[in-house]
Amino acid sequence: MTTLSTDTPSDTSLSPAQLREKKDRRRAITLLTPGLLWMALFMVLPMIMVVYVSFWTQTTFTVESTLTTASWERFLSSSTYLGAIWTTLRIWAIVLIATIVVGYPVALFIGLFVRNKTLQTALLVACVIPFWTSFLIRVIAWRPMLGTEGAINAILMQLGIINEPLTFLLFSEFSVLVGMTQIYVVFMVGPITFMLGRIDPSVIEAARDLGASFGTIFRRIILPLSLPGVMVGAIFVSVMVLGEFATAASLSGRKVNLLGNIIVSQVGSLKWAFAAVAGVVLTIIITAVIALALRLVDLRKEM
Amino acid sequence: MESRILRPTLAIYSGIFLLFLYGPMIVLAILSFQSADGGPQFPIREWSTYWYQHLLGLAETSRVSQLPVGDSLIRSIILAFMTTVVSTILGVMSAEAFRTKFKGSGPAFYLIILGMMVPGVLVGLGMALLSNTLGISRAWFGTSFVLHVVYTYPFAFLVLLAIFNRFDRTVEEASMSLGVSPAQTFRRVTFPIIFPGVLSAMLFSFTLSYDEFSRTLFTAGRELTLPLAIYGTFSVEIYPNLFAFGVLTTLFSFTLLVIYGLLMKRFTSKASRFKGQEEG
Repeated sequence: MTTLSTDTPSDTSLSPAQLREKKDRRRAITLLTPGLLWMALFMVLPMIMVVYVSFWTQTTFTVESTLTTASWERFLSSSTYLGAIWTTLRIWAIVLIATIVVGYPVALFIGLFVRNKTLQTALLVACVIPFWTSFLIRVIAWRPMLGTEGAINAILMQLGIINEPLTFLLFSEFSVLVGMTQIYVVFMVGPITFMLGRIDPSVIEAARDLGASFGTIFRRIILPLSLPGVMVGAIFVSVMVLGEFATAASLSGRKVNLLGNIIVSQVGSLKWAFAAVAGVVLTIIITAVIALALRLVDLRKEM
Repeated sequence: MESRILRPTLAIYSGIFLLFLYGPMIVLAILSFQSADGGPQFPIREWSTYWYQHLLGLAETSRVSQLPVGDSLIRSIILAFMTTVVSTILGVMSAEAFRTKFKGSGPAFYLIILGMMVPGVLVGLGMALLSNTLGISRAWFGTSFVLHVVYTYPFAFLVLLAIFNRFDRTVEEASMSLGVSPAQTFRRVTFPIIFPGVLSAMLFSFTLSYDEFSRTLFTAGRELTLPLAIYGTFSVEIYPNLFAFGVLTTLFSFTLLVIYGLLMKRFTSKASRFKGQEEG
């Protein structure tokens, strides 16, 4: 590093280590500035704008920058919108639990029981392949599956299990839950499999040699070691489900209104201030969920 | 031994799970071969490729209007390409910065990661409000583009961070101390090592942006991207032409994946040849 001495002639009092640290830091900041600036301008600023506009005055077709809490009062006194908060939280909780319950055994199988690396990779790839289909197409694919003339009903009728087609399958909360679980469960399987794959097999073997049953091994070794994976998966699933609206819009037949759907419909009718209020409420909920999850797991350490 | 029962049970369960993942797409693919007079459900009246012809504008006029895919497809590809270039460059720069420990690296890390966490509908709303206030007109190549980068840049960054974390800094230092200029060192030493990461970051950015919907919804303005065009057909009745489109777009994605695989394979075989030379 011959350039150091000519670069910073005034810093001769600093030791080489300090000089190097200073240079590294300056280099890091130079490299990071474009990215951080991009995030500040196009992510942080829009989010601040949402909070700001939620206090603007809503007229019939526009918003004016006169500050008021009218939109907030209307939101918090309306049973429809409070109901949307409740629906969002309920759907989130059910989908989160469903992805854990459905996904954990699969992760257990791939991560712990399949010891052949090639097969393990093949199974993980098989889980990821559906993501190469457009998200909206994957949502809409549930319609011919669940409809009254859909595949499930057709099969059940053929088998003689039911005589009339089941109508609760599509355009209901049920279809939204099934659709979301199918779309997001892989985000749970991935991190859990990763954590389970890192468990040293000799630890489990040692426990078995000492006479522990599988139940004990699972409770004392496997479950605790896989919990960070569950938490990372839970963060992924939570942020995606809480910000959802497309699945509910296309599979619920307008019966399920999440906060995301409220935002979309309010923007559609140019009620910007009102959409902003729903946006702030959604932000608060998501922040609370992520903050809670990050308390339980250090994301940067798990990467 | 419990695992004698447990292992097959879990294997069968995992099979059912894969069926759950693939089932809807399989049904959709089958129904895309429905005949012209058939609806978007069973039974298949007659196997045909009518809806594929319909999608490509080859079928005679029918009761169903054609999906507006042509222009929107081109827009989506251009947008995904722009997003890929910018987010990969930003990702390389930031991951390079994170190789040295520095004060404030924690908050900077989380600020970048936040981009993939924030729901699209929220930043989309914020960007729409911002452009309304500033009097900037919303367009897919402007307001949508910057949001796509906000979303894909963290993915590119994480992929490259994983690569950078694994590679030895002394290799570069050796090159520098032999008098090779920093630019040359990056081109001849650093870049070949991080190339697999760059390729993966590009694949991530492209596919995420190509399929991105919630960030585009409020910010694209009048000209629609492909996902928006598809979303527009949701409110009306759906026809098997949408299914045919789903099959074709999936095939397109697989083509991308194959290209990625071939590039990766070609590169790794080249890299191993180099290693052979060193040893020999």
